[in-house]
Amino acid sequence: MADGIPPPGPDPVGPAPAVRPYLVTAGRVADAASVRALPVETQVVATAEGLDALGRLSFEQHDIVAACRLPQSIAELAARLRLHLNVVRVLAEDLREEGRLAVYVPDAEATRDASVLRRVIDGLRAVPDSPRGTE
Amino acid sequence: MTPTEPLPARGPAAPAAVRPPLPVKMVIAGGFGVGKTTAVGAISEIEPLTTEASITEVAAGVDDLTHTPRKTTTTVAMDFGCLTIDPTLKLYLFGTPGQERFGFMWDDIVEGAVGGLVIVDTRRLDDCYAAVDYFEHKGIPFAVAVNAFDGRVEHSMEEVRWALNVSAGVPVVVFDARQRGSVRDALLVVLELALARTER
Repeated sequence: MADGIPPPGPDPVGPAPAVRPYLVTAGRVADAASVRALPVETQVVATAEGLDALGRLSFEQHDIVAACRLPQSIAELAARLRLHLNVVRVLAEDLREEGRLAVYVPDAEATRDASVLRRVIDGLRAVPDSPRGTE
Repeated sequence: MTPTEPLPARGPAAPAAVRPPLPVKMVIAGGFGVGKTTAVGAISEIEPLTTEASITEVAAGVDDLTHTPRKTTTTVAMDFGCLTIDPTLKLYLFGTPGQERFGFMWDDIVEGAVGGLVIVDTRRLDDCYAAVDYFEHKGIPFAVAVNAFDGRVEHSMEEVRWALNVSAGVPVVVFDARQRGSVRDALLVVLELALARTER
């Protein structure tokens, strides 16, 4: 039997959580149009109200609001909290409805704007050849 | 300019303490082990993160009875990184997961991306066909970046272009996924292409 024997090679996503992902969303999955529309780079940040309510939030909801003191994408949030992306989508939507999380859905037109692209190009050009602190 | 607008809050109004940057997304695609995560790590300001995402896989064959592609949703590991351009602008780089034997749909990850980079290992050109097809089909600006493993490339750029059958407008460049400057320059090729489209 393979039980108890770790799989060969490094596990890129770490051990599976003890609780199955969709238990924390009560079985809901991110297939509703509104939630599906949240791109992976959608920025989320805690509201003052959310931070005030931290002590009353539990489990994943608490962890998400606490992790969102600084803005980040839902992909970063999922990676850092080791939650499935679609679980974070569902919970972020819940927290937004409760006023505890501000959810900034990127405007695809804005990111394809020439002035935005020029700023990204200029910013990227300024990146040095090698990482700071090496060579 | 207001880069992003929050979804209308249905709960009590509660403004965010910090305004987030506008995220600009690029996608790094290519076959397994071709250097996607290496490239992301070379330019990202954070160690590449991994999250579980869902992709819809379309089986290579079709169902004989219905003539519709068989689709299954699979959970895969997706690596990504980011680079802060300034406090109002942040570049995100997402590596596409997927198995080469299948066609796959990354719409969930790619939607809204300004461009893509398809990394190619010239010893395994077949591995990148799906990615090239995907970007062409979606109309997303992309470039092909031949990863020069050990500083060597097995084929000329003309041979690669011919083998991949990419349109004349698709840049094919040689790069080293381990070198920050090299990854930066390959991404710049894609961004210039995206910019040129806005000016057309």
